[in-house]
Amino acid sequence: MKEFNSLEDILDFAINEEQMAADFYTALAEKMEHQEMKDTFEQYALEEIGHRAKLEAIKNGKEYKVSEEKVADLKIGDYLVDVDTEKTNITYQEALTIAMKKEKAAFKLYNDLAAAASDSASRDMFLMLAQEEAKHKLRFEVEYDNNILTEN
Amino acid sequence: MERSEEYIKNERKKEWRVELQKKTKAKDRMAIERVKMSEQDPNERIKSQRIEVNKGLSAEQAVQEAMRCMDCVNPTCMEGCPVSINIPKFIKNIERGEFGKAASVLKETSALPAVCGRVCPQEVQCEQKCFYVEKLNQPSVAIGYLERFAADWERESGEIAVPECAESNGIKVAVIGSGPSGLSFAGDMAKLGYDVTVFEALHEIGGVLKYGIPEFRLPNAVVDVEIDNLRNMGVKFITNYIVGQTATLEDLKGEGFKAFYVGSGAGLPRFMNIPGENANGILSSNEYLTRVNLMGADSEDSDTPVLRGKNVVVVGGGNTAMDSVRTAKRLGAENAMIVYRRSEEEMPARVEEVHHAKQEGVEFLTLTNPIEYIADENGRVKQVKVQKMELGEPDASGRRRPIPMEGSEYTIDATVVVVAVGVSPNPLIPNSVEGLEVSKWGTIEVVKDKMQSSIPEVFAGGDIVRGGATVILAMGDGRKAAANMDTYLKEKYLSKKVEQ
Repeated sequence: MKEFNSLEDILDFAINEEQMAADFYTALAEKMEHQEMKDTFEQYALEEIGHRAKLEAIKNGKEYKVSEEKVADLKIGDYLVDVDTEKTNITYQEALTIAMKKEKAAFKLYNDLAAAASDSASRDMFLMLAQEEAKHKLRFEVEYDNNILTEN
Repeated sequence: MERSEEYIKNERKKEWRVELQKKTKAKDRMAIERVKMSEQDPNERIKSQRIEVNKGLSAEQAVQEAMRCMDCVNPTCMEGCPVSINIPKFIKNIERGEFGKAASVLKETSALPAVCGRVCPQEVQCEQKCFYVEKLNQPSVAIGYLERFAADWERESGEIAVPECAESNGIKVAVIGSGPSGLSFAGDMAKLGYDVTVFEALHEIGGVLKYGIPEFRLPNAVVDVEIDNLRNMGVKFITNYIVGQTATLEDLKGEGFKAFYVGSGAGLPRFMNIPGENANGILSSNEYLTRVNLMGADSEDSDTPVLRGKNVVVVGGGNTAMDSVRTAKRLGAENAMIVYRRSEEEMPARVEEVHHAKQEGVEFLTLTNPIEYIADENGRVKQVKVQKMELGEPDASGRRRPIPMEGSEYTIDATVVVVAVGVSPNPLIPNSVEGLEVSKWGTIEVVKDKMQSSIPEVFAGGDIVRGGATVILAMGDGRKAAANMDTYLKEKYLSKKVEQ
């Protein structure tokens, strides 16, 4: 497991993760056949860059806290099969699946890191990051729930 | 057809209407109980896909129900009708026994009254806006039943009036798709004098009215009469013709078509994408219903049969899910069940359809969601793994969303599974027309209320724009598109400045 020596280390890791997610979506956008799906993935990339900026602000001294509020987990992505990200005709339903699964994986990573953290400041930082990812995931789950599971 | 407030008010002041208003006191009208629709016995009707459940009203029942209508000065019911039917006028014609005239009023603005009288969700449209509901908290006038009565009476009488059409202006317009939206558009454009041709990909006209809605709710013969009516108005129909494949829009322009209405619907099935969904025996509701409704697979000697089985699981809670599960019952399923992830209260299906399904012995597993399909050694589905759900706290939108309950998984035996979790727009036109703006959902982007796309001569409406809605909303789009295309074409080809 990666070693973190300071809170700054943790934030640098998380900032890099957000950037990698943005790059992933940008690459998907580039290879999509249809403009509307290019636009969709470009939008997701922008959202990841927004998350990165939020973390950079914390790194630069903006206060943060771990909220007591539990973020709802609709677990929609948990039961869906993985989408083949090599194909060029991904549908919006599949795009949402990719995003839900990606955010869930990030949430799980930070939760695991929080559990393994040796000091409370690091644990709180990881928990804050996990909560952020849970919120991102919920945003995609709600969109899926509202628009894909229309008759279900 | 003029639909101004003044016109509606003047109509109400016609002598015959005033006479009727005076003839029966308001309190006597209000004392009449709402009519009950008689139904075929559930044990009888499940013997055939072709036995209609609702029997319709008798003339006496219809006149009595029409008497309940208060002929309001401000008929709020009309606000609830997407095609703006002059509701009090047709109902009062029924009250005075002029059933044919009532049907003519319906046809002033609706190309498919016998269809709408059967499948429109009146309870959340016109009837919800009725005086009885809004002011008295009592059951509304049965507008839907009366609409069906008038349309059926005309059809059965054989005296079918053809709406008046303007003199031909020689301008050719094409309609892509013969579902409710396309038919509604075609009717209005024919009335305005256009040369209308409807292109249909399938071998039958009617779109979702034929392939989607079973005959026990909407007999094909009823749809056919409405289509014949459009034929009599000069509308041409071409079947087995896939615009986007057989010919492109450019090809059709070459044949002289000046404008297009895309009403190609949402015929693309949607699946859940859970493990095992590719097993044999798992069908989309589109396939299941099309095989039965359009291809006659309910007949034992059908050339295109459909899989039958003892245990049929239908996933979903909409009208399509109800149509599928009730079809399964009629095809001999011993256990036909609905699996739906929310509670019955949230089901998008009409209450009437849920009620009929229960009468027919359909089992409802609510707050239950499939998470995996288990197949036998031949790759044929044998079980559905489901999970119990609970409704979470209301979120910012006030909606309680279903959340899986850990450890609540169990399996259900299934010989056939029908997935009815929604549909996506037909991708053919969006994918084959250069420059057409499409949303991320695959729907065609149009200017709201004008129904005009990013290509000026291409208009669109119904499910290809909405992504999945009701017959009547699709028809409303067709009417709006016709009015706006008329303006566009008159200005472009007839040098007429049309006042909006």
